[in-house]
Amino acid sequence: MIELKNVTRRFGDAVAVDRINLTVETGEVCVLVGSSGCGKSTTLRMINQLLPHSEGQILVDGNDVTAMNPEQLRLNMGYVIQGTGLFPHWTVARNIAMVPQLLKWPRERIDERVHELLTLLDLDQATHANKYPQQLSGGQAQRVGVARALAANPNILLMDEPFGALDAITRENLQLEMLRIQSQLRKTTVFVTHDIDEALRLATRIAVMDQGRIIQHDTPENILRRPASVFVENLVGKQDRGLKLMSLHTVRDLMEAHPQPREPEPGADGLKEDDSLRVALSIMLWQNWRQVPVFNADGQETGTITRERIIQEGA
Amino acid sequence: MSIYSSVASNTMPNRVLPVLGCLALALVWLLDLGVIQPNRIVPGTGHGLISAVGGPWAGLVSLVLAGCVLLSFLPLRRRYLPLLGLVGLSLALLPLLLEVFAGRHLPEDAPYARSSIGAGFWCLLFLLSLMLIEILGRLGSGRGLQLMILAVIVGNWLWILRGGGLESLSLVREFNARPDKFEQALWTHLALAFGAVGISAGLAFLLALKMIRSVAWRRPILGAVSFLQTIPSLAVFGLLIAPLSALAAAFPALQAMGIRGIGWAPALLALVAYSLLPMVRNTFVALTEVPESLADAGRGMGMNERQLFFKLKLPLALPVIVEGVRITTIQAIGLTAVAALIGAGGFGSFIFQGLGQAAMDLVLLGALPTIALALLADALLTMLAASL
Repeated sequence: MIELKNVTRRFGDAVAVDRINLTVETGEVCVLVGSSGCGKSTTLRMINQLLPHSEGQILVDGNDVTAMNPEQLRLNMGYVIQGTGLFPHWTVARNIAMVPQLLKWPRERIDERVHELLTLLDLDQATHANKYPQQLSGGQAQRVGVARALAANPNILLMDEPFGALDAITRENLQLEMLRIQSQLRKTTVFVTHDIDEALRLATRIAVMDQGRIIQHDTPENILRRPASVFVENLVGKQDRGLKLMSLHTVRDLMEAHPQPREPEPGADGLKEDDSLRVALSIMLWQNWRQVPVFNADGQETGTITRERIIQEGA
Repeated sequence: MSIYSSVASNTMPNRVLPVLGCLALALVWLLDLGVIQPNRIVPGTGHGLISAVGGPWAGLVSLVLAGCVLLSFLPLRRRYLPLLGLVGLSLALLPLLLEVFAGRHLPEDAPYARSSIGAGFWCLLFLLSLMLIEILGRLGSGRGLQLMILAVIVGNWLWILRGGGLESLSLVREFNARPDKFEQALWTHLALAFGAVGISAGLAFLLALKMIRSVAWRRPILGAVSFLQTIPSLAVFGLLIAPLSALAAAFPALQAMGIRGIGWAPALLALVAYSLLPMVRNTFVALTEVPESLADAGRGMGMNERQLFFKLKLPLALPVIVEGVRITTIQAIGLTAVAALIGAGGFGSFIFQGLGQAAMDLVLLGALPTIALALLADALLTMLAASL
């Protein structure tokens, strides 16, 4: 758990972060969102003390960060930044092994862990382990960046616009990857972005920041339904709020479930349980379907969903 | 794409080799290949190609050069390999021309007579070397092959020298008159140049660290080392005589160590002073140009400043630092020759003796090894930088 109590950061006379209070519960993903210069990166960098705070108190699992050795504090926090920050003179494997090596793990344990992480992030050991960062694509490099942050199995993950420099498709892939990994590992995560869609997709709770203050701190659904101010309302976009709400829920939430899963008819088209309602509606409109079967990850038919239901209850 | 273009350029007529070859052909015929002197001081009589080595040898030399020019015009894919063999072999056997020349022209009954190398021979050596470099570049050869060819050529020269046919060569005579002094000069030269580079590398590293830690020191330090560089080298050697003499007079212990107004001490000090600017500048720039985002990532992962320095900054800066060492080493080897003026020894002492006695071959005996040392240091340090 991370707690910020009345935390202020000044640069000279300018106040970058102004008396903010924020609690990030264990295992949740807190996304700090706002335009550039709003203090979100500053807030993140105060948590691992890359920037000391001017006033207030920052607690990690109940301990004041100023009382801890900063290196020890950071060794237990994964850190991912926009430009990946991979060391260009180290191979992928050595980059990932950075923190375990700092912690002086034995050789075999490090090798084993590197292998595990390459697998977790869908990077092939044989082709990627001995490459240098400049030989990777942007998406691969950032996967390595995430693997490096996870290497010593830290409790906390700090991510500073990690996908900001990637193209839209790669970014979406990595966001989905993030969701998958997070559902397995449940790291307490603080994630900084200026992209509200990224925030809505990844966050357990979103903290909207403006001019060094937290304007609203709530779940994505509440941010969309009950924006606290005009600023938040503009940030989430007034017009397509309905569609954005739909993307927060999955087909599983609204489908008519069969008593038990059954084998699908051969060649039957349909939706997946994990598809968002937004995607489901789009597909049904395009294909002109009124009702379709829903399949689970194993390909069994688990229920059906209708277009009417999505339109009535989706948003 | 690049593969196709390189294949195309390999079959296209080469423009560099014919120019070099024709130039070599013209100069070897126009200039004197060798000179016969009745004794050490008296100016000798020059001999052109035909007169120097006779018809058959002159024909062979012309044929080889013409062959190279012709071969480089032919649109053959593998022509650079025979060209490499031809030029390499010519270079390796080049001293044989001098042997033939001495054998033909040196009077039997004149013990003071000596042969020396003419402008034509130097031009031939220089142009053939350029051709070799061009061919090696076209072949895209690795450092291993280049070093091997160099070793074969130099080894062959030494072998020809040991054969004794070049005893009458003025350069060889100058060497044979003082083999001990030559060896001593070599060690003195190496000790002074590399000692200065070593000391200034250590010093420059500390200064660069100081500059990185405190902004206030940057301008004064850079200003001071730049100022040192602007003083003419002769002046530095001269200026150090008085203070060092005074020091030595005041402290007998220093005198016992061999520190005096002239000799190795002022030379070493001056060389260190000259070496500081390139070293400090390269070290400072290399260390400060490590991207801040990488340092931020390292720090954020839990590295302390020491680990950041040794695991990130120093390895990334090392190639540029080694480049600074390379520049400094070459410069120091050259300057050490000048340091002979204040009695520091080294190859410079032959140069100044030779100038004083108007014996140009003694000058060469000092100059040639100095050049060879500089080239060798350059090659080795370039290899070191490339392997980092």
